[in-house]
Amino acid sequence: MLGFADPQRRLRRRGVAFVAWAAGWLRVLRFGGAAIVAALSPSVYNPATRAMVARQIYFTGWQVLPGFALFVAVLSAVLVRIVEETARDFGLSQFASEMTLRVLLLELIPITAALFVSLRSGAAINTEIALMNLRNEIDALARAGVDPMRFEFVPRLVGCVVSVISLTVLSCALALLIAYLGVYGFFLWGVPDFTRSVGNVFNAQITIGLALKCLFFGAAVGVIPMGEALAGAREAHVAPITVLRGMMRLFFVLFLIEVGSLAFKYW
Amino acid sequence: MTWVEDDAARQAAIAARPQAALVSAELPLRANLTALENIALVPQYRRDLDWADASGEAMALLEQLGCTGCAGKRDATLSHEERFQVKLLRAVAATPALVVIERPGYLLPDTHYPPFVEAALAALQDRFGEGMVIDYAWNAPLYRPR
Repeated sequence: MLGFADPQRRLRRRGVAFVAWAAGWLRVLRFGGAAIVAALSPSVYNPATRAMVARQIYFTGWQVLPGFALFVAVLSAVLVRIVEETARDFGLSQFASEMTLRVLLLELIPITAALFVSLRSGAAINTEIALMNLRNEIDALARAGVDPMRFEFVPRLVGCVVSVISLTVLSCALALLIAYLGVYGFFLWGVPDFTRSVGNVFNAQITIGLALKCLFFGAAVGVIPMGEALAGAREAHVAPITVLRGMMRLFFVLFLIEVGSLAFKYW
Repeated sequence: MTWVEDDAARQAAIAARPQAALVSAELPLRANLTALENIALVPQYRRDLDWADASGEAMALLEQLGCTGCAGKRDATLSHEERFQVKLLRAVAATPALVVIERPGYLLPDTHYPPFVEAALAALQDRFGEGMVIDYAWNAPLYRPR
């Protein structure tokens, strides 16, 4: 009897856990939809919201720029050297710069920018919104006539999207320079070949794909931590779990976007 | 003045006035903003004022209540009296028809609060239509007879 009852109970527990998991995703998606629609509505942006957006971009993008640029410079230099040496060993030197550009600019830098912003700002946003929710600050703002979507959520979302895109673009420019120097050194004779390699890599389809990927990365970094934090229970002991769950969901989605982008490009 | 007997009656009294500007322990200030910024948020979002105008209005309110010293403080460093004053100013910043202060004893645990609340409402009387206090009936002896 016990042996028969146990699988039933286990199954029920699994079912309940699955429903809770699906409901969590649904809440995050619903919040994400509302936040993205609000972010795309010009009427949301009054002087205060614009100032908040600027402040978020400063905290999320500008403050990390020197550290991130240094990181990308080191990563690019190391990767260029590895690819260059390996290509030379296999007699494939003519493909070295194109290989480097594909790996660095299309794959590594966008995901690294998204992870950088996630770790620095996504975790902070997740914690701050979870605490605001816990302290009832969001309801207090709404009761005072201040729309939390305009004051708290849209600026963070826009800040994350702009930061991921800006960091990616600036780092790609830096990586291009380092890749050129790594392959051709401080000489100008390689410019035509290098430009041709860049042109081969960045055809229209790839460029649109890269832009969309950065956009999805930024939206995920902005929406998921906030959505998860708002869906969390208003109990102090649950706050760390809420933050943990938000970051896990975020990394899962970033991974999905990257895999989806690779599948779209190479299949 | 509205006297209530229990928590359910208190919540019903609040729910019956959804448009009122509410001063309550359950509606905290935004923790990462200063007192001035908390008050200025209301004209910034209700009337789309820029920061210069909104902060000017907020400072005028702080001056009217005589608590400009707390303008740069955040929630954690405010005293109970200062926190109450800032919450009241955030509520009246929208020039509401009705301001409701609920459970003032919870907001001002170390103060003989009836005269303090009365003085604050009197100082700001030109900023709102009507002021109302919701308190438990057992605190009635604290209030002076009218």
